[in-house]
Amino acid sequence: MTDGSEPTPDGGYAGTGDELPAATGEGDHATTESHGLPPYGSVKRWLVTTNHKDVGILYTVTALFFLVFGGVLALLMRVQLFTPGSGILSPMGYNQTVSTHGLIMVFWFLSPFAFGFANYVVPLQIGAKDLAFPRLNSLSYWLYLFSGLLLGVSFFQGGTFAGGWTMYAPLNIPTYTPSIGASTAILALLLFVVSVTVSSVNFLTTMHRMRAEGLTFRRLPLFTWTILLTVWMMLFAFAALLAALVILSADRLVGTTYFASTSPGGSILWTHLFWFFGHPEVYIVFFPALGVMAETFQTFTGQRIVGRKWFIAAMVLVALQSFVVWMHHMFLTSINLQIKTLFMATTIGISLPFDLMVFSLIYTTIKGRVRFATPFLFTFGSLILFIVGGITGVFLGAVVLDYQFRGTYWVVAHFHYVMVGGVTALIGGLYYWFPKMTGKMYDEFLGKVHFVLYFVGFNLLYFPMFVAWETPRRVFEYPARLTAWHQLATVGGFILGASFLVMFYNLTKSLVDGEAADGNPWAYSTTAEWAVPSPPPLENFPGVPSYRSGSLDFLGGSPEVADGGEVTDGGTLTTHDAGTQAAHADEPESHASIWPFAIGVGAFFVFLGLSGLQEGSFAPGIAGGVYLTLALVGVAISAVSFVALGREHFHAPTGPFGESWPFEAIENTKLGVWIFLASDIVLFGAFIGTYVFIRISAGWTGWELVPGDPIPGLMNTYLLLTSSFTVILGLVAAEKKSRWGVVASMTTTILLGIGFLVNKGLERNHLFHEGIALSSNVRTSTFFLTTGLHAAHVIIGLLIAVYMLVRAWRGAYLENERPLEYFGLYWHFVDIVWLFLFPLFYIL
Amino acid sequence: MIDDEVSMYPMVPFTALVVPLQSGIVPDGGRDEIFQLIFTVFLVLGTTVGVVVIGYMLYNGYKYRDRGDQDDDGIDRPELGELPEGGGGGRKLALSLLLSAAIVISLITWTYFALVDVERTQPAEAENALNVQVEGFQFGWAFVYPNGNTSDTLRVPEDRMVKLTVTSRDVFHNFGIPAFKMKTDAIPGQTTDTWFRPNETGTYQAQCFELCGAGHSAMNANVSVMESGAYEQWYANTTPANTTSGNATGNNTTATDASATADNATAANNGTTAA
Repeated sequence: MTDGSEPTPDGGYAGTGDELPAATGEGDHATTESHGLPPYGSVKRWLVTTNHKDVGILYTVTALFFLVFGGVLALLMRVQLFTPGSGILSPMGYNQTVSTHGLIMVFWFLSPFAFGFANYVVPLQIGAKDLAFPRLNSLSYWLYLFSGLLLGVSFFQGGTFAGGWTMYAPLNIPTYTPSIGASTAILALLLFVVSVTVSSVNFLTTMHRMRAEGLTFRRLPLFTWTILLTVWMMLFAFAALLAALVILSADRLVGTTYFASTSPGGSILWTHLFWFFGHPEVYIVFFPALGVMAETFQTFTGQRIVGRKWFIAAMVLVALQSFVVWMHHMFLTSINLQIKTLFMATTIGISLPFDLMVFSLIYTTIKGRVRFATPFLFTFGSLILFIVGGITGVFLGAVVLDYQFRGTYWVVAHFHYVMVGGVTALIGGLYYWFPKMTGKMYDEFLGKVHFVLYFVGFNLLYFPMFVAWETPRRVFEYPARLTAWHQLATVGGFILGASFLVMFYNLTKSLVDGEAADGNPWAYSTTAEWAVPSPPPLENFPGVPSYRSGSLDFLGGSPEVADGGEVTDGGTLTTHDAGTQAAHADEPESHASIWPFAIGVGAFFVFLGLSGLQEGSFAPGIAGGVYLTLALVGVAISAVSFVALGREHFHAPTGPFGESWPFEAIENTKLGVWIFLASDIVLFGAFIGTYVFIRISAGWTGWELVPGDPIPGLMNTYLLLTSSFTVILGLVAAEKKSRWGVVASMTTTILLGIGFLVNKGLERNHLFHEGIALSSNVRTSTFFLTTGLHAAHVIIGLLIAVYMLVRAWRGAYLENERPLEYFGLYWHFVDIVWLFLFPLFYIL
Repeated sequence: MIDDEVSMYPMVPFTALVVPLQSGIVPDGGRDEIFQLIFTVFLVLGTTVGVVVIGYMLYNGYKYRDRGDQDDDGIDRPELGELPEGGGGGRKLALSLLLSAAIVISLITWTYFALVDVERTQPAEAENALNVQVEGFQFGWAFVYPNGNTSDTLRVPEDRMVKLTVTSRDVFHNFGIPAFKMKTDAIPGQTTDTWFRPNETGTYQAQCFELCGAGHSAMNANVSVMESGAYEQWYANTTPANTTSGNATGNNTTATDASATADNATAANNGTTAA
């Protein structure tokens, strides 16, 4: 910390507010040895760590790898486009390149890169010691990495997916993209969505429940705000994508016919499902960049953000509105004029909050002390690029112009300006937080060189696309008169790529022998991550962070006190938590577990094996046998790992926390379960919506219900309702400390659940004997897949119930019956879903 | 996509729409004229706004750059560990937002009138229109005429409205003729409608604008705009069973005065007009 007499590395002067307690030492302390975490130099550390800072570094580095991967694909495209006509890539090669460039950049680079920062910085900013569920955090990283590996493998299985990142139907079904690699790419994306869902549940629980005292939502740092909104959007949007991908995987692997050309409404159905996800997705990738812009504009202008509360309100508005604009991607389909008008209005509506945020950032520079250090060069530059991109977006919102721009490079140029404009801000964030994450300062001169090359390369690459906008998308043939523009763009692309070489050199060299950075290298920064050393110690803070006094203090002053109980300064921590966790208050927190990594490995093999399915079975011969074996090996590894994860003694951060509104009375795990169920609701909602959409397209009344007899369905309804009741009885028994009561209730629940499945099996058998199979037609497809998804939820529930039965037999849950409560929530949800499915598929 | 009647709109606000339509503020005429005008206005306005805003940004960034002097200018600057307070400036923001909203909303409303215009067709024109069905497939286009003839070239007469009903035989395509500023999705199992009115003879390109497989880059078709007489002659010589290609000589019917070349026939049309 400076006393104001020396300039900080960016040339500014730190304010001389109250001195915060000097945090001593840097890096790991001796106390970490007791947490089971190997030191930084070892490979093992990175495999077992669950600490949010390490996971953040893993995400950042892996995302940068995918940036290079996606960037190389882009350069291949630009080489091909240097002159019209074929080039180094065959047509199918070009289509694969185009598609995977989009998939990798949008999914495997953008959000993970942002979440590298979110992981590292958000807990520090809100005053938490880690995320709510550290092992799940590690799990979401490993699922991400292995999903990316799976995508890499897909190139070698007859060619990867070649239908564009938008994966339109029916191009996306095996009739038109038959390669196994295409299925693998879809499964890789599916695994990625699982990773995102796990991560969203984690971040939402953390940010709602684990804020420091005095840190109400209105006072949250703006970067944390953007992450909060991002994960809320992610929770709901990705559930819709998950539904689309599960249905597509079913079409590709087990023979359902949702998207076949002959199925009514199949093609439009995909566009609805995909774009309902796709539009919030673009804000999901942009919001973290917006957060970085807000933080750096404040820090590097030395002025507080103008109209902060309006800025927050605008962001919240955009997050909500993002779910009602999706049909502007469908202006040229068969939707009618009234709907087009509505979505034109909502699209223009969503540009207005962005106007406010742009002005807010610009006005912040007024009367400031602006320092153009590398981070701010990038974020200032990104605002310029975003303004250009935003203006060109208004063009697209005017339907009558969109009629021409559809499928052309105007769209391509627009979204690259806004999305890569966002990347520009995130690069600024990388430079901004690099000293914090590594304890070393990057080379400022090289940073500026990077920026100049980057900005020149960016505009040389993307601006000509506006001029040559008539080029159709995803083609390598274009009118000869546009050649010069495309050549300019190719040159720009290589300059942009070269600029990253400067960055990698700079950061690696600085990591090795850069200047040491202290806790706060930036003048006028305000958020809590700058109040701790660079890099922060494992426990983050020297005491319990609190804003009770009106600014940041660390209460207590020694790490052990931070777990709860009284603080040595005589005050008391406000307790909001209604119950207490099992006696964890005296035990140190855990930071290591191998099981998330193991589950990642298992998941990789499961999905790789599943990619070999065709029409519901594995191909005969060696190839099919290999896939089947891989899948079984994956299932075995995953099963063992899940059980081990459950049995492991792992101590996550427990309450009470400073601010937990509005969830003061709900502990972390219960909140996590509720949030997960919210996502599951959207998943089933998408499946049910899909069924309704297809049935209306085919004619509602003429649709013959698949199960000819509703009695088996009715019996299943009774079975499930009764099983929900028995779960409640189990909870009551546990509260009364009756071991046999718990065992009996769980056993009954399991038997009833098995009865449900047996009944289902009999019903299916009966239908198969009548010649009705999964792939017969779209009626059977929707029936079997939707009820099958529900049955999968039942099976998973039963597996958990069996595990809990074994533990109940040994006397668990009598002291702490909460796991029964969590299971009950899940089980009731599964039953309620059935109450919707039964009338829809058996009666109406 | 085409509504011949706009009767679902309440009449009172609609009269307000009619005035701008008649006063020439709203672009009228062919699709390309509408597009060019609106695009140009957007381009000029968008560039102006962009230059002004970005210029203002750069100006502020330069004017308030830190000059390294330590003077306390009396401004309360952010401090580490502080809690954020309002930040002020709400009025300036509100004004800026109002201004930009006014610009954007009036722009879009203006284009909305043009959209309605494009979506409607004048009844008189609609009756006289040439209806052609377009079927996209991997990787080409088939044009089906009212008499059942299928062609791989879209031949149309000049100065007459052509209404297209577009669909696909396999995957999701998009049919567009850039020269006529006309484009619509080709969706399997559904149809979309669009129209254009070419006013110059010549040969133009139709392309596919939605990724549809390996042959997407080459999925083009020729659009041949012919003089009315030449067109009628060509059309009379087609039968449902035929697929006439771009340079066929049309000698497959019993019409007595069918001439060999379709493109530069004289106006010796003797009334064999098929509808």
